[in-house]
Amino acid sequence: MKNTDIQISICGSAGDGTIAAGDILKRALAKGGFKVIAFDVYPPEIRGFGKCISRVRVTTEQVYSLKHHSDVLVSLDDSHAIPHVGEVRDSGAVIYEDTPISGVLEGSHISAHISPGQIPYGLPVREISEKETSGNRSRNIVALGYLAGLIGMEPEIFHETIADKFRGKAIKITDMNVAAFDKGYALGQKTFKLDDVTVGKAKKSRNKDATITMMNGNAAVVQGCMDAHIKTFFGYPITPATTIMEKLATEMPKVGGRLLQTEDEISAIAATIGAGYAGSRCATATSGPGLALMAEMLGLGVVAELPSVIFVSQRGGPSTGLPTKTEQSDLNLAVYGRGGDGQIIVLAPTNVEGCYKCAGKAFEMAEQYQTPVIVLLDLYLSNRFETVELPKQSPFTKTSNKAAKKKDLEGGYKRYAFTKDLASPRALPGQENGMHTITGLEHNELGRPSDQPRMHEDMSAKRHNKLLAALSHHDITIEKRFGDEGDVDVGILGWGSNFGECLEAMFKAREEGIRCSAMKVVMLSPLPLGPINDFMDASGEVFVPELNYEGQFANLIQGATARSVHSYTRVPGSPMRVEDMLVEIRRLAKIKKAKKIGKTKKAKKKAA
Amino acid sequence: MVQPKHHVIIGSGITGTQAAITLRERDPKSRITIITMSTLLFYNRYDLPDVFRGRTDWQSFLVYPPSFYEELNIKLRRGSRVVNVDSTRKEITLGHKETIRYDTLLVSSGGRGYLPEELVDFRSLMHNFATFEAAMNVKKILPENGKVIMLGGDMLGLDLARNLIQCGYTVTVITGEHTFWPHTVEGNERKTFMKALESMKVETFDGDKAEGIASIEEGKKGKPARKIIFKDDTVLEGDVVMPFFGLAPAVEFMIGSDADIERGLLVNPELRTTNEHIFAAGDVCQIWDKKDKSYKFFYGWKNVRAMGEVAAKNMTGDNTAFVTTQDEKLRLDKKGQINSPFWEYD
Repeated sequence: MKNTDIQISICGSAGDGTIAAGDILKRALAKGGFKVIAFDVYPPEIRGFGKCISRVRVTTEQVYSLKHHSDVLVSLDDSHAIPHVGEVRDSGAVIYEDTPISGVLEGSHISAHISPGQIPYGLPVREISEKETSGNRSRNIVALGYLAGLIGMEPEIFHETIADKFRGKAIKITDMNVAAFDKGYALGQKTFKLDDVTVGKAKKSRNKDATITMMNGNAAVVQGCMDAHIKTFFGYPITPATTIMEKLATEMPKVGGRLLQTEDEISAIAATIGAGYAGSRCATATSGPGLALMAEMLGLGVVAELPSVIFVSQRGGPSTGLPTKTEQSDLNLAVYGRGGDGQIIVLAPTNVEGCYKCAGKAFEMAEQYQTPVIVLLDLYLSNRFETVELPKQSPFTKTSNKAAKKKDLEGGYKRYAFTKDLASPRALPGQENGMHTITGLEHNELGRPSDQPRMHEDMSAKRHNKLLAALSHHDITIEKRFGDEGDVDVGILGWGSNFGECLEAMFKAREEGIRCSAMKVVMLSPLPLGPINDFMDASGEVFVPELNYEGQFANLIQGATARSVHSYTRVPGSPMRVEDMLVEIRRLAKIKKAKKIGKTKKAKKKAA
Repeated sequence: MVQPKHHVIIGSGITGTQAAITLRERDPKSRITIITMSTLLFYNRYDLPDVFRGRTDWQSFLVYPPSFYEELNIKLRRGSRVVNVDSTRKEITLGHKETIRYDTLLVSSGGRGYLPEELVDFRSLMHNFATFEAAMNVKKILPENGKVIMLGGDMLGLDLARNLIQCGYTVTVITGEHTFWPHTVEGNERKTFMKALESMKVETFDGDKAEGIASIEEGKKGKPARKIIFKDDTVLEGDVVMPFFGLAPAVEFMIGSDADIERGLLVNPELRTTNEHIFAAGDVCQIWDKKDKSYKFFYGWKNVRAMGEVAAKNMTGDNTAFVTTQDEKLRLDKKGQINSPFWEYD
């Protein structure tokens, strides 16, 4: 059986139903048992007539990133799709509207930009939509139907998915859209196929629970929160984190949780830390600009040793920056962005399943190590859909509070007692004999203000060292190595959403005979220095690709290990190109080879 | 700054493609655009019978790879239908409502299979063989060792017939005035060639004797897919019915363009139409013959390629007249089988 690996891009203007078509496509194929990775790009204006692109990669085997070249491009708006025609590979298909409503100037129609190697498929999308639905709002569904018919996908799964999509609306809406799909499908089936894009059979039989295994990073965060029994959420909307709050707002009340939209991010973090103080599992979600506002309150969380979870989905910056484009440029802010020595735990999942795990584990860590925990995503991961298998039983504790016991409360309760594991027993407000002071000032074990040098030394050490235990926290991947074992020519050190591209680049490099491995670092603070050093020892050249300008992760690694790495940074606002990374890997492999030859010559010379 | 000239060619067959190549040689800085309804790049129609020998990958039919067009900077507008030519504004309108300006225009849209009026109602029950897609469709529906009924004949049809027979199929040609089109064969000569067809195992049926076709119908279940009922009640059955009545020039989009049309676009020996910026070449045009004092069609691969070259030269300032070099005589080979110079190509 031939494995399926195709990528479909649908491009249109906001309001064309571009994202909706992509959504139906990916859900239908996930239902059909395929692995799916999908990522949508929205215009910075959020609403209006900006460009939207939905990219869906469909595979039989697990893959880790989108491809640079798509196999099919569906244009719902030529003015937006024309710049993306070049993304379609040779012998790939370009599907477009062949009967626009008004005249177009020379070169404004997409057919003018299709290269001789690509296959054009023009069809009367609007006419079909108008005939089937008395309007042109189903153009996206007609085009989707045509695509499905052309490349041989099962129509029934699409019917079900369309029905799911319009559930809750008048049945007529579903019927019209199914009819529009079928019309497009029939035309697609009838079309003489010249491209070589096909969908084979999925490996797995159809999974009836597939709807719950297809989600994006933000939805996985929400699922992680719910499975970790979150009780309180405060937030202020900001792209690309908003959907976390939106989804929690519908899910939390069902299980007695509370969610409040505050007036700004400062209130959100203050309330979150307050809820943590009160013993409630609590979180907030924001992006870079919001995290900047939260810096001061996070310092309070550190010094007062209070649990809180902050989900941060990065976007292009600084300031308002690129609200709808992805970037990994808030690493410094997450790791260092507090006054004083305000270290906290920072987790950066690398895929959608990781979002689920890190979300749930963040609550455990926040409580167990009494600290704010940042879970650092980015727009690419927040909006990227993947097929994931989530455990049926929650893998997270209901609480990880180190509660103050009776003996802790006797003879004057020390909220900040120095203990063996450095996490002090914590009494919750109202607990009998647990009265204590909470302050942003440096304090002694009782919590009372103290500016004694020794106390500041000890408390600083306590606040930092207690976090080291998180490096061996139960049942979470802190770091992981993939690819060739032992010594390698090139070691890729990656983090966050970009790690999928790192893996794909590594696989390609290995196919070319380069000894290569990749390590993902999930915990960015504190850093798992032991495994990182081991990895660097085994790597001839260490390659650190990331989506920011400054090389923030590379700098973090170099500062922490005092060893140099090859930093590779790009800020295109979109995922990094695997092909570009591969070029760099090849170059580094050559350097490694040259060094090896140099060493051998030197050794021979010495021996002579 | 002087803008480079925009040479637009309608049609991507041998004529249009040859014209584009010559234009690029003679005017390296110009813009060249080929507009074609086909979604495929230029392929040789003469090779299409090969689909019955298992050559079904369309890429193997391409005369030039995709990179050829990119290297020569020739823009291809595939899947595009020309609906109007406005010679006053020098603008072409495509089916998807895009307008394209030209400085010089070459119409080389070729001909499409002519279908006599009395058969138009049965079009949906017949199969053509004009494109790769159509050829593949016939291959798909034709059962192994199946029977093809060819209406008319013509040299395109007879070429297909001899190939089908070599591949184990049966072919019956309903003969008539178009059987040897575009050759003019009459009297005893015709009898000789009809006999030669038999020696080639092509079955023939004199349609005129049977008073012409009354109707074409779908065959009954378990029987061949088509049946032809003649006016004298004779019935012929076959799996596929294919019309071959010669070519009709594809010129409808030129109506109102200021270029004169009779059956094809009328051009002088330099292939210029009655509009000085519009040229025509290939099966679409009728060329003024000074000797005969009439407009004539010139068919055959050699002719239409030469016309593409001549037109391109004249579009770029030359004044060369087209002279045919095509042998037009139908002949018999040593084995007594029909051999048409129109079947020859490089």
